Amino acid sequence: MTEYGLRVGRAELGSAGPITFGPAGILFLADNAAATVYAVDVADPGGRTAGSGPFDLTDVDARVGSLLGGDAADISIRDLAVHPDSGNIYLSVQRGHGEQAQAVLVRIDRADASISDVPLTDVPVASVTIADAPAPDDERVDVILPLGDEGEQITVGSRTIRILRRPIRTATVTDIAYVDGALLVAGLSNEEFSSKLRRIPFPFTDGADAAGNNLEIFHVSHGKWETAAPIRTFVPFDGGRAILASYTCTPVVHFPLAELAPGTKVVGRTVAELGAMNQPLDMVSFVQGGEEYLLVANTSHGLIKIARRDIDAQAPLTEPTEPVGVPRETADLQGITRLANLDGEHVLALQTDPDGRRHLRSLKSASL
Amino acid sequence: MADRGGVAVSWSRHGGADCIRLAGLAGLAGLAGLAGPAVQVRIHPATAVALGTAPPTAGRLLRDGPDTCFLPRFPFLDGTAYVVTVDGAVVAELTRAGADDAATTEVLAIHPSAATVPRNLLRGYLWFSAPMSEGQAAGHVRLVDDDGDVLAGALLATEQELWDAGRRRLTVLLDPARIKRGLAPHREAGYPLRSGAPFRLVVDDGFRDARGRRLRAGAERRYQVGDDERRHVDPHAWTLRVPPIGTTAPLQVGFGRSLDHGLVARCLRVVGPEGRPVDGVADVGAEERSWRLAPRHGWAPGPHRLVVDPVLEDLAGNSVGRVFDRDLARRTDDPRGARPVAVTFHPA
Repeated sequence: MTEYGLRVGRAELGSAGPITFGPAGILFLADNAAATVYAVDVADPGGRTAGSGPFDLTDVDARVGSLLGGDAADISIRDLAVHPDSGNIYLSVQRGHGEQAQAVLVRIDRADASISDVPLTDVPVASVTIADAPAPDDERVDVILPLGDEGEQITVGSRTIRILRRPIRTATVTDIAYVDGALLVAGLSNEEFSSKLRRIPFPFTDGADAAGNNLEIFHVSHGKWETAAPIRTFVPFDGGRAILASYTCTPVVHFPLAELAPGTKVVGRTVAELGAMNQPLDMVSFVQGGEEYLLVANTSHGLIKIARRDIDAQAPLTEPTEPVGVPRETADLQGITRLANLDGEHVLALQTDPDGRRHLRSLKSASL
Repeated sequence: MADRGGVAVSWSRHGGADCIRLAGLAGLAGLAGLAGPAVQVRIHPATAVALGTAPPTAGRLLRDGPDTCFLPRFPFLDGTAYVVTVDGAVVAELTRAGADDAATTEVLAIHPSAATVPRNLLRGYLWFSAPMSEGQAAGHVRLVDDDGDVLAGALLATEQELWDAGRRRLTVLLDPARIKRGLAPHREAGYPLRSGAPFRLVVDDGFRDARGRRLRAGAERRYQVGDDERRHVDPHAWTLRVPPIGTTAPLQVGFGRSLDHGLVARCLRVVGPEGRPVDGVADVGAEERSWRLAPRHGWAPGPHRLVVDPVLEDLAGNSVGRVFDRDLARRTDDPRGARPVAVTFHPA
């Protein structure tokens, strides 16, 4: 067993979800089919010359597809993360559809852009279940006839068939981040509408389903209406002291991490709104000229840039004003769906062009 | 360069797995990794060839008698074309057969099942008869008005769809930003629905099941739109028809409004005088407006409790514990806590 409680085993991913790096090059991977987060030692081959400078790769979906034996249309890139030491790029990929769908972790070498799939079998691994503890009376399961040898065998009259019971209530991980010995997990239920942020200590402890660490964060719109909603994406900033979160209903909300004590009601401060028909996709914090900024990728506008000092100075939004919230700059960068810090000078973006092709692109922090 | 005209390439099987079989290579030379001068065999999806520098498809080359088999690390995908090259020269393009089975999957149910929904409707559910493919909902589920025009931006696009673990039940959300008061999207675009303007929730037959087949038919449900619903779900205001002692007649509970299809099935239970759950068969009534529990054994005398999980929501996302968006100036909107609510009754 490693220092972080990992044991050699298998991270059996059912559905590719968000990924993020934790301590000592351990990668956290959310499996949205099993409502599980795995911590995996990805055995990054770094240590040789770490990549530096910008990194760009056109048609990343087609290239990954080629390795995995599928067309670009068969590849869904669910998240990206950059190894903090080597700068190698990791992609959480869903390959194929329906019965043929498979979750794969892919590594792109920063030095030569070579692409490989990362083994998830016989690797040091630990896991934690993030589903809400099932209610004792929730016996609802969907019974289906499996194709393989999953499930259990039952006999009906003279026939023996195999059935698979699977829960109806599920939780989808929308984003994860690691801060100071804890994994923060935001999720979306397929039933109730709630805003849960789970704080799961790492190394994972036995039975750590984070039940005691479910935090519901409310926000207030215009001083009149208080509401909770599922968090779509969030980013720690200010050295891990604060969180900026964006919700399915689009406000960008700030709350201090220190206030997140189990059982207490947390009301975040709305610092911006993204506007109608617009959904937040990803956020990253970066430094420019010695000051911290946050970038928000979203479905309708270019990247939105927000200065930390403006967040600190922003009074809660109480009156409808246009533009709404803190001063922002909307860079002319359309189609960006994912962001990660590549190094101190670059932010790595996954960008979809007007033809639907997806590219990895480095954005120079100084020019953002 | 050796003449590659004699190489025959076909779909085949090797060791129980699908492979691409190359016959006639032996005459050329040894294979990379095998004895003899190397011949390089590469497989690419046809769509990646144009890139020139795309990595070859991961897999192994194995000798099988005089033939060579390529076994992919990830199974070949139905309907995908693969290009086979030997020493950089294309020798074949093979296409995996697509799913051409007849369509058998259908939509079993669309919820809410109520004829009229509040203007601030939050959620719907679709039940399919077989597991489905992900990534289809945005293109094949929509709200349309009576003229057939799509209500643009009414449904919330989520990157990951909300399925149950068996991928037979899909949850669809109306855009909450347009329902919540005070938010910019609500002010700019207004409610997705309009009171008095009927609409339909439509699933078209292009929605693919897990085997890649279309649905047997599309499905839809039409709704009237009423006023907003912004009150807590209040179990103390429900009507209970209490059964006689000793019988197995059902306890009948009327909610006074339609509740959420997914939650109502899990948020209610009955506890007997001994503090033990009453075992029996529970049913949700028409339009999710009622619930009944027929006990396995006759009702005991004494106090029983109908216990309600406070997360139970109505069609607009108001729960027992809180309203969907709380008007801070209205005392009746104050949160009511996160503890289960019990309604006591005595079998008569």
